[in-house]
Amino acid sequence: MSQVIVPNTGQNLTQQPSGPQIQRLAGELGKHALLIIVSIVFLVPFYWMLSSALKDNNQIFAFEPQWWPNPVHWENFATAINFPGFPYLRLLGNSVFYAGAVTIGTVFSCAAVAYGFARLRFPGRDLLFGITLATLMIPPIVTFIPTYILFATTGLTGSYAPLIIPRFLGDAFYIFMLRQFFKGIPADLSDAARIDGASEFRIFWEIMLPLVRPALIVVAVFSILYTWHDFFGPLIYLQDPMSYPLSLGLYAFRSQRAMEWALIMTASTLTVLPLILVFLFTQRYFIRGVAMTGLKG
Amino acid sequence: MAIAIPTRQARTRTMPRLDREARAGLLFILPWLVFLVVFTTYPVIGTFTLSFTDYSVIEAPEWIGLDNYQRMFFQDSSFWTAVENSAFYAAVSVPLRLVLALLLALVLNLGVRGISVYRVIFYLPALVPPVAATIVFMLMFNLDTGPINVGLRALGLSPPDWLRDPVWAKPALIILGLWPLGIEVLVFLAGLKEIPQDLLDAAAVDGAGRWRRLVGITIPLLTPVILFNLVIGVIYSFQVFTPALIIGDTTGEPLESTLMYMVLIYRNAFRYFSMGYAAAQAMILFAAVAVLTLLIFRSARVWVHYEGGER
Amino acid sequence: MSMRQGNGSRISISRRDLIRVAGVGTTGALALDATRRGALAFAPAAQDASTITFWTPGGSPLYCEIMTEIAADYSEVNPNVTVNFQCGTDPDAFQERLLGSIAAGNPPDATVYWDTPVALGVRGAVMALDDMMATAEYAGVENWPAGVLASCQFGGQTWGLPVAAGTYGIWYNQELFESKGIPSDRASFPKTWDELRAMSKEFTRWEGDRLVSAGYVLPAPSGLAPTLPIWSALNGGQLYDAENQTYTIDAEPNVAMMDYFIAWLDEEYQGDFSRVQRSGAWGPYPSDEGQPPQFQAGNLAMIEWGSWGLGDFYAYGDPAFERWDVAPYPVGPDGETAVSGYWPNWLVIPEGSRQAEAAFGYLDYLSGVGVVKWFEVIPDLPTNAEVPETVPTLVAEKRGEEFAAEAIDFFRDQLDVVTPMWDSPVQSFALDQLTLALERILTKQGAPQEVLAETQQACQAELESVLSSQG
Repeated sequence: MSQVIVPNTGQNLTQQPSGPQIQRLAGELGKHALLIIVSIVFLVPFYWMLSSALKDNNQIFAFEPQWWPNPVHWENFATAINFPGFPYLRLLGNSVFYAGAVTIGTVFSCAAVAYGFARLRFPGRDLLFGITLATLMIPPIVTFIPTYILFATTGLTGSYAPLIIPRFLGDAFYIFMLRQFFKGIPADLSDAARIDGASEFRIFWEIMLPLVRPALIVVAVFSILYTWHDFFGPLIYLQDPMSYPLSLGLYAFRSQRAMEWALIMTASTLTVLPLILVFLFTQRYFIRGVAMTGLKG
Repeated sequence: MAIAIPTRQARTRTMPRLDREARAGLLFILPWLVFLVVFTTYPVIGTFTLSFTDYSVIEAPEWIGLDNYQRMFFQDSSFWTAVENSAFYAAVSVPLRLVLALLLALVLNLGVRGISVYRVIFYLPALVPPVAATIVFMLMFNLDTGPINVGLRALGLSPPDWLRDPVWAKPALIILGLWPLGIEVLVFLAGLKEIPQDLLDAAAVDGAGRWRRLVGITIPLLTPVILFNLVIGVIYSFQVFTPALIIGDTTGEPLESTLMYMVLIYRNAFRYFSMGYAAAQAMILFAAVAVLTLLIFRSARVWVHYEGGER
Repeated sequence: MSMRQGNGSRISISRRDLIRVAGVGTTGALALDATRRGALAFAPAAQDASTITFWTPGGSPLYCEIMTEIAADYSEVNPNVTVNFQCGTDPDAFQERLLGSIAAGNPPDATVYWDTPVALGVRGAVMALDDMMATAEYAGVENWPAGVLASCQFGGQTWGLPVAAGTYGIWYNQELFESKGIPSDRASFPKTWDELRAMSKEFTRWEGDRLVSAGYVLPAPSGLAPTLPIWSALNGGQLYDAENQTYTIDAEPNVAMMDYFIAWLDEEYQGDFSRVQRSGAWGPYPSDEGQPPQFQAGNLAMIEWGSWGLGDFYAYGDPAFERWDVAPYPVGPDGETAVSGYWPNWLVIPEGSRQAEAAFGYLDYLSGVGVVKWFEVIPDLPTNAEVPETVPTLVAEKRGEEFAAEAIDFFRDQLDVVTPMWDSPVQSFALDQLTLALERILTKQGAPQEVLAETQQACQAELESVLSSQG
């Protein structure tokens, strides 16, 4: 199937050809209405969490649903930050380090591996990809013990090494995802480049990677997200409380019997806050779409 | 002005490069090969072997042949309960998530004013730690004071006691699982962004309406990503764990209705000191999901369209 | 039930064999062995300065603080031992951490454990302490209440130390009693189940579908399952017979007990357990959905609770009343004497600990001395006979020294009449099975006789399977 590629004119046309003005306005309102309704549904639990974060412990347990905390306990946040055993800034720094290291390793390794599976033919490719998928199907709970023993005998426990090193080798989830994206790119591009004499690596680095940039951003965001929330890995492999990431510190809040729910909510909110900021910043990359560039020639 | 070279010609041209390509291919996946050998083979083969043993983690494993499997299929009612629960969860949750996420992504891609605000709102739930999300939803599902039932009553319905009713506890889990939909939406959005706008414009110029463009261009080009979300959805829906554990504890309250397969494995491994038995259960899960995935991929030949061709 | 190799001998796979099977080969196995030996070579000699690692599964920041202090105190008194204390952050995942560390050969030297050491001891996960107890300063056999030590014993050996054990009693709201004209002194409290049930009626009030106030309400299954051994004993029965290593869940007295509960449910609570649960949090803690505890709110007259209530009573906002007291359990129709129960904190030394002697020294200290400081801050009742009888500070503040001393004396006395519990090698399995059984019985999904029989079968089978695999 041949394809005609129109060069990028520099514009990103997102609006359809114009119809009557009123019809368009109605369409806009309709979309907004839909979006607003869905947004409210999505936001209610979030709001509940935030308002709980600002309440007294009693008020969370009050009989009538308390939609607005009264009195508003802004100091809950200060309490949580200064809570003994929850050195917020230190843990935040650890989380940033952990998430950052993992993400860098993940993005680069998974992009390369996914490209190999998607666009290059080599013996055993499909079998290996099948095995890759298979690794996702075995619950980590069971493989945890042998893996832990492996790391313990090489003396790597007690540090972030067992958590970071494997991530520089790849991750089945992202490999699968990126492979799908790479497969969506028309073959002609790489074929043409090959004819021009480009090495596979150049094709990968200069042509393919930029084309899957939205997907790469998604991988990075997911990686940061999951690492931020990962507490089991750190729980098992880390020993020094000062090296704990925020997710683990959050667990220090869940004391044996006392259910300080208000503070748990506060701590959760504090854990989420940095993520929200990261998210707001990467928003721009989603707005910028992908423009198909024509072939040289 | 650029003209694309017909694919057929290009293919014959690249034939002689197979060796070079194969070498490059293997180099590209080399890190992953290392991972597979070191971090997958050993634990996976280990788990497989353990499934034939009686292993309490603290003592050396003891070979018992097919005992674990025999017990699982013929003597353990909790096993079948967990299978039913997980199957129900997957069967309802996967299609629901797929459809909803796709719809949301399509709407978000429409370019409404202030779209970035909506995007952030839809992603926010995915940022909340699963434990906190579950706790919040438990408060939300309260029979009398929870916003969900308050809302349902306002619509004139008489809502159930979600977390205490064995019939409604699983739907509650499914609903809770729908909150972080932003994850699938993100992936779909990335896929939508990859669809060349020029293609859509050209079609519009040719007179194709919005619906035609959606069904004729967008969705077909989105199928690789749909496949991804579908397979991942299936795999992970069988592995739902934390919310089920928090809501139902290790007994799957109420009345074992929230006993998901992963909770079963977990409690056998670490609560009952039966890691061998848990390993056997993990193997069964693996087999079931593998078969399902294989079927999905088989079917994919019919409905998934790769622009890159079926290389 | 399970097939073993023909002639009864066991085929045991050592960890080394397992690795070989997994394909890592002899090299891997040798490496494993060498690393282990190498690591041991670096372990400091016991007589000189030694460091012991001590874990706890979790705990509030206050708990962690006080444990850190106690560890420091110990090092002052014993300068050649440093206690490297690690406060756990996730009690739920603690089991995995602990088991993983034992499997990998790098466990803590000692740890607090929130489940029965019997389960660990049977499986060789912890060390037997009898020899060390014989020469201990505080932790000798004679210093522990027999009923409590029973939770650590199996096969003639002791696998842990029950350093603190909250005991149970029936708490009641004196002010509520008086408002109904009922005498509120401890001596007048109901002595039998029938009396309890009759008195409970006085407080029951429904508003349509909702139970607004009550006298005594059966806890939810997950709360009742741990204390079921107490109720069984009160009715002259037993759930688990440790001496004969057999379960007796569906024995006559237990079926009668469940029948009694159902009859009570039908008479007083509209026969609908779910409706009762929905109406509020009838346990001493807020419900999962955020309902406040009814006892503290003044809507529940009597409640089964442990001595840790001395702290927790005041932990969820201000209670609606001031004057409460505690009384012994009433006796069931088929029972003879009042018994009590307990929920311990245990100390164990995992197998593979390299500083067992030094670690036991610390456990000994904790049992007799450290626990005093612990008790001051958190009302976990010390059980050791050598511990001076102190009074928990919070209660003293709220109700005065005299009452606080009385209350804690009551709980101490209960230590002498506790029924054996927490002593099964398959404790967690049985607990889960009992929770499910109670759910089914109380929501009328099955008749007590049948449900208990099924539970009996499951638990007994599991028990036998574990015991037989221990050879």
